[in-house]
Amino acid sequence: MVRGFFFILSLIFLTDLIDTVGQLILKRSINSLDFHIDSFSKAFKLVVQLLRIPRVWFGFLLSGVSLVIWLFVLTKAELGFAFSLDSMRYILIAIASAIFLKEKIVPIRWLGIFCVILGIVLVAAGQH
Amino acid sequence: MDRKKHVTFKILVALAGTDLLETFAQFCFKKSALSLEFLKINSFGAGFEFIGMLIRSPFLWLGLSSVFVIFVLWCAILSKIDLSVAVPVASISYITIPLVSVIFLGEKISLMQWSGISFILFGIILVSLSTKTSQET
Repeated sequence: MVRGFFFILSLIFLTDLIDTVGQLILKRSINSLDFHIDSFSKAFKLVVQLLRIPRVWFGFLLSGVSLVIWLFVLTKAELGFAFSLDSMRYILIAIASAIFLKEKIVPIRWLGIFCVILGIVLVAAGQH
Repeated sequence: MDRKKHVTFKILVALAGTDLLETFAQFCFKKSALSLEFLKINSFGAGFEFIGMLIRSPFLWLGLSSVFVIFVLWCAILSKIDLSVAVPVASISYITIPLVSVIFLGEKISLMQWSGISFILFGIILVSLSTKTSQET
């Protein structure tokens, strides 16, 4: 039981970590292109540019791997439990954004992130 | 170049749009898989037959096109605001999906879930406001 718990916990951590890396790659690639988007067609052009960057494709591959692990988790764990733990992604994203993207995370943003996590745990745990 | 990174109303709408499309895509995938429920996959050949019929399902293509539009929108959003803002604010789906379920599917939401929804909403407001304070400093 306890071993099962840590197994599922580490798998969820793994999917969140992989997703975070994927988002970091995407955000860095977008920052490097320095696009100003004001319409959907401009956004489409940005995506076309992005698809020329090999590491963006690596990011897609990561999403695929993460999805497979997540689907496996869902076959083993209860939905409410899985979604509660999955909210640790917000912490990983915040830490990674601060370190690798030099985003400044002011205290009010941390507070907001923790409110979101608490809310998700309540929504997930409150399922009948 | 003057770069504003505030969460504007437009960005909020785009984020809510990606979440709604995500729900729609999941619905389509589920539909396309359900329409093939009668197929028993007990051999390698039957697996191929499943894929063959799946790619002929209009719901699959509807779902895949939504995924593409979601990606375009998400890239546009990321070009405007910080990643550490976009991801938490995208949790707006934890609010929209229960509301849609209540209104259109007649599902019930427990008191605990309502309090969770309020916390998420409060959190999203705080994260959005944080883009203003960090601009001023």
